[in-house]
Amino acid sequence: MDSTSPDSESEPSAAHGPMAHGPMGGTPAEPAAAPPSGPVSGPGTYFDGLSNRRQSVTIGFANQLVMRSADNFVSWPYEDIRRVDGPSGTLRVSCLSASPLARLELRDPALAAELIARCSHIDQNSLTRGAIARIIGWSLAAAASIVAVVLVVLPVAADRLTPLVPATMERHLGEAAVVQIKTVFGDKVCSEAAGQAAFGKLVTALRKPAGLDESLTAEVLDTPIPNAFALPGGRFFLFRGLLDKADAADEVAGVLAHELGHLKHRDNLRQLIHNGGSSFLIGLLFGDVTGAGAAIFASRTMISASYSREAEEAADGFAIDVMHKLGRPTRPMGELLFRITGKEDGKPSLWASHPLTEDRLARMRAADRPASGPPLLDAEEWKALKGICR
Amino acid sequence: MNQMSYVPGQPPPLPPLTATFSGSRNDFFRLVSRGAAIELITLGFYRFWLATDIRRHLWVNTAVDGDSAEYTGRGKELLIGFLFAMAILVPIYLAYFLVTVEAERYEGFASVPLVIAFYAFGQFAIYRARRYRLTRTVWRGVRFWMDGSGWAYAGRAMLWTLLAVVTVGLAWPWRAAALERYKMRHSHYGNLRGDFEGRGWEFFKRAWVLWLLAPFAFVLFPLLPFVYARFKAVEWRWWLSGIRFGGVRIESDLPGNAFYGLYWKVIGWWFLLSIASSIYFGGVAALMFKLMGPVEAGQLQAQALSNNIPMLVLMGFGYIALILALNVVMRLYLVRDMWTTVLQSVQVHGIEAMADVAAKGDLASALGEGFADGLDVAGF
Repeated sequence: MDSTSPDSESEPSAAHGPMAHGPMGGTPAEPAAAPPSGPVSGPGTYFDGLSNRRQSVTIGFANQLVMRSADNFVSWPYEDIRRVDGPSGTLRVSCLSASPLARLELRDPALAAELIARCSHIDQNSLTRGAIARIIGWSLAAAASIVAVVLVVLPVAADRLTPLVPATMERHLGEAAVVQIKTVFGDKVCSEAAGQAAFGKLVTALRKPAGLDESLTAEVLDTPIPNAFALPGGRFFLFRGLLDKADAADEVAGVLAHELGHLKHRDNLRQLIHNGGSSFLIGLLFGDVTGAGAAIFASRTMISASYSREAEEAADGFAIDVMHKLGRPTRPMGELLFRITGKEDGKPSLWASHPLTEDRLARMRAADRPASGPPLLDAEEWKALKGICR
Repeated sequence: MNQMSYVPGQPPPLPPLTATFSGSRNDFFRLVSRGAAIELITLGFYRFWLATDIRRHLWVNTAVDGDSAEYTGRGKELLIGFLFAMAILVPIYLAYFLVTVEAERYEGFASVPLVIAFYAFGQFAIYRARRYRLTRTVWRGVRFWMDGSGWAYAGRAMLWTLLAVVTVGLAWPWRAAALERYKMRHSHYGNLRGDFEGRGWEFFKRAWVLWLLAPFAFVLFPLLPFVYARFKAVEWRWWLSGIRFGGVRIESDLPGNAFYGLYWKVIGWWFLLSIASSIYFGGVAALMFKLMGPVEAGQLQAQALSNNIPMLVLMGFGYIALILALNVVMRLYLVRDMWTTVLQSVQVHGIEAMADVAAKGDLASALGEGFADGLDVAGF
């Protein structure tokens, strides 16, 4: 804000530019340099910046600005004088070569205009239009780079950083998540012996073509929600609700293979890095603008949802590969998903963390091959698996 | 209260002085609306300069004894403070994340208490941000400044907040008094030391009725602005009347109903802006329906709309315009008008004790302001 005295801008300031300036107070006043127009002296208020004593001074325009009072004499070189904030109707200036908080205040408009005319750099500190344009330019560049980092650099960084995270750290993450999941969904692990054997057989059968080692642990949780979870560090959970909805071993096998895909790609960790980074970066924008929280939340949700959809598609592709290697059909998995979610047509796909179920079903149908390998579980084992929570 | 008793043994004091505000409301409106527009263009990065300009406007137009104050802070300092704060906060966030993981392994949701650490950090930021603002405040060529420790303050704030929570808010006045005492005793104007003489009991006497009313206000919500506005007025009056700098005393006679109008005006504007924006959102949706033509069978129209990117963009613009307008309204009424209302109530006694104050104290960095921005905390 430039609180200037009125009519101060009308005077051209270049008129008195080339003036000789000696060291502070050193050169005697040269009357020849004094401009013919304007007042030559007048009253001002001076604060020396060392005490808050208010000093009434008489200012005079010599080759420097001079301020006289009964007990004081101060001179300021014109080129060191800068305008600072003053209330309207008052010109308040400081001087670079004086105490930083020394101030001179002039209330007489003619006197203020005269001083402004003599000081060539008086507005050097003020925020001009050019400076605001620069702020806007840099801000836009910063915002653009944040967006570019979120959309381009972060996915790459997440891919590159994930392998660098030690497996022990990932396992710790998984264990923390296990505690939370069991708190939310209850910790009733199903372990009926025959069912457990069938489940183990199914997981082992899938593990080999998936290229995962034996550190994998899989459990069935007794909860009616039809879902399955893979956690960082090689743990995954199948919920009883999903078994209840399944009609064949191949259906469950497809879902398990999909979760193994997440484990294989370390998707949890990748999403953690990606979403943490994008949340932080988007949070840098808007700061304390009241009400901007919703905008930040929406953009964050959209970005992580789109990243999650990509991971889900990759996991589906992985599941298809595994089933092909085992010589088992891929279509049953899509049908199980469809049975669980129903037709999702028209759902807000920009916000969804998974691709539309009908698209996934279509993909599994297209990739479907007639069974060429042995069934993963025989009828007896399948029945045992269905009853694992009994 | 006997006003004389505070300056014993001095010549008869000068009559109390009032503080004046000379800024034009139109200038401030132009300042904040232009600032809001630039804030929109810069996706919020202009906030450092806008906050600085608002403070410069308020400070320079506030005069005591005929001399107006000056704010010497700059937007660039806030930006640098913010960047430094981010450089420190990022590793802290990472460490926080790792500690969370370990705590969660041990026991589900055991990491919740860690949020308390961030509360403490927020209190630290509030103290340091106040220090920055105070050291940028100059009156008669002498600056205000602060010493004391941000962590000592944060520790006190934590203990008092705990007490306030345990007593369901009844201890709040004593918390405010204790924290203000700490802040004011470490505030200085040149070589003049500040102090705070407001008592928790005084605050409590004026505010306990509001404490009783608050639960009803949450049910009968038109009562809420009254209760809140009254609480704010009581708090301001109590706070101002407790401020001392050497022999200088500040007195405020702010009436309890001083802020009712301001809060209701904000609510009124909020209401009008909401109506305007719903008309806009409705119009955009209707336009899109027209442009899209008939929707495929089985697809719900509302669901189809949520996937329509041009519409989301238009909605986004409307939403941003709405929040910026709200920000202008809030700054106009709850910053500028509240400031002038409060100033009008102020009387300064014993200004002669401020006749010859020697300059002292150094500038503090804007790091605290950066933390406050990064942690989304605000305080005075």
